Amino acid sequence: MSKAILSILGRDRPGIVAAVSRVLCEHNCNIENVSQTMLQTEFAGIFIVSMPSGTGAGDLQRALESQLLPLALTVLTKPCEPGEQSCPAKACEPFVITTRGPDRKGLVADISEVIARHGVNITNLQAMFKGGDDPGDNIMIYEVDVPQAADPQALAADLRARAEALRLDLILQHRNIFEALHRI
Amino acid sequence: MLTQREIISTLEMLRNEHLDVRTVTLGVNLLDCAGGGLPQVQRRVAERLLGVAGNLVPVCDRIGQKYGIPVVNKRIAVSPLAVVGAALAPEELVDLARTLDTVAREVRVDFIGGFSALVEKGLARGDRALIDAIPEALTVTSRVCASVNVASTRAGINMDAVLRMGRTVKRAAELTAERDGVACTKLCVFANIPEDIPFMAGAYLGIGEADAVINVGVSGPGVVKKAIDRALQADPAMDLGHLSELIKKTSYRVTRVGELIGREVAESLGIRFGVVDLSLAPTPNVGDSVGEIFQSLGLLAIGVPGTTAALALLNDAVKKGGAFASSRVGGLSGAFIPVSEDTNISEAARNGHLCLEKLEAITSVCSVGLDMVAIPGDTTAETISAIIADEMAIGVTNNKTTAARLIPVPGKKAGDQAFFGGLMGQSTIIPVNNGAGDNAFIRRGGLIPAPIHSLRN
Repeated sequence: MSKAILSILGRDRPGIVAAVSRVLCEHNCNIENVSQTMLQTEFAGIFIVSMPSGTGAGDLQRALESQLLPLALTVLTKPCEPGEQSCPAKACEPFVITTRGPDRKGLVADISEVIARHGVNITNLQAMFKGGDDPGDNIMIYEVDVPQAADPQALAADLRARAEALRLDLILQHRNIFEALHRI
Repeated sequence: MLTQREIISTLEMLRNEHLDVRTVTLGVNLLDCAGGGLPQVQRRVAERLLGVAGNLVPVCDRIGQKYGIPVVNKRIAVSPLAVVGAALAPEELVDLARTLDTVAREVRVDFIGGFSALVEKGLARGDRALIDAIPEALTVTSRVCASVNVASTRAGINMDAVLRMGRTVKRAAELTAERDGVACTKLCVFANIPEDIPFMAGAYLGIGEADAVINVGVSGPGVVKKAIDRALQADPAMDLGHLSELIKKTSYRVTRVGELIGREVAESLGIRFGVVDLSLAPTPNVGDSVGEIFQSLGLLAIGVPGTTAALALLNDAVKKGGAFASSRVGGLSGAFIPVSEDTNISEAARNGHLCLEKLEAITSVCSVGLDMVAIPGDTTAETISAIIADEMAIGVTNNKTTAARLIPVPGKKAGDQAFFGGLMGQSTIIPVNNGAGDNAFIRRGGLIPAPIHSLRN
């Protein structure tokens, strides 16, 4: 049994998940994982499905396009190859990087460049830029996996130096502190 | 995945509400350092402390950095020196205090506690020597803290020791007269002293404790105040039951931070984790004040009618939230009302809202005691003993810890300002009413017997 990954993009409205899952059901596909999110007015969904033998990613793409294009949704389907996790849980420590500061061009590019340079994987990124100089209006939150082999202090120092140049208030914290404070 | 709200509110607590871990205190057992002459004791004590505590500060700093939560104070508590140095003379105990001070400086802890004696039922030779050494020991050192337990619910009140402590406090003030009697800020007289207090000046390592232990003192008055302010802004009609619930939840969060960091420090040092002390410990910084919480709850200032009830509510809610957050709770776990260390409380004293009698009253609902109270320099030793005796009686009868940390500021009178510096803060000297005149009661000495409810078996 092979797997496919599909992404759906478009203006949010009621019925998107229903339409996608109906097509998958008709093709006897089993949904293994779904993640959907909304940014402002836009919908984005990612589905990983297992397909019955005889069905390929191309078949699904054609079927989904015919159903979803009238809804102004864009679909991309591709085969999903089994692979290794980018950072196995045991070999990494989860940290959170938060920045606040005036909006300007290239903030995400500059900060994520430092993160990438240290071989650190971003597992979740939330960013909100309303523009202007109010630090509370411009926030980036990176959840990252720091490999145990990496040097968190060097990462912190590089991040702080970059943040200072960008006039950002940056803090790097182990994820456990948020769990301790907010979750039972 | 964490929510944006969880992350932003954490940052708010850190940046604007002074969330921190107030102290990580390493308890070190020195009982096997006793014996032989002073040089041997000094050598063994120094070696032990440098060996066990050498990494305390770097480890706390590293773990604080990992979580973005500062560990403000790193401290050491040792076995009571009246036991460790029971064979030493007072002047030798002063030298031993110097050794502690030197080691504290070397391992970069801000205080080392345990220049202590447990005399609730009687004074032994070593206890007398240690108490005699306290004034000078606290004068020639800067980081050593002393405590003497003179009463307990099981033993009653040792009035001989109480009398002695009045004189000791007075002498300590005189020896540091040019610094407003600062030696007294490092001396606590206790009833029912716990064996695992992480806070100073009362921290020492109990006789029943292991070789080494990590105890943690959490903080968070600013976090509690801001939570109350936000809730009342959203719902100005919120009643006290709901406010109590809110404080409970907030205390839970603050305590979890202490537990998380304390456990990790203990693990890194290979030492057993002891307790979290659930106390809202203020600092002289604005926004880090216990006094401000009373105002947020609707009182004009701490000290006005309603204060005792408000403190009872606050303290109970802090304990309930904290007890749920931590697997092991201990130490003082009661609200601190350290007058000079909390700018708002000190202000209430200056404005006349807070007097000695009210401070004593609130200790009955679990403020830990008359803490950092500056009194006129001409207060007699006997009057100081009498104030201590009253405070001890509250502890003994109510089966709780109480303490007195009084500073009779030499050469100054009620209404003057006393300056102790740093964390010790500053305060207006408050009057001791009806303190003049003979007090034959205090001079009688002997033991006030344990209360009837001490017979619990």
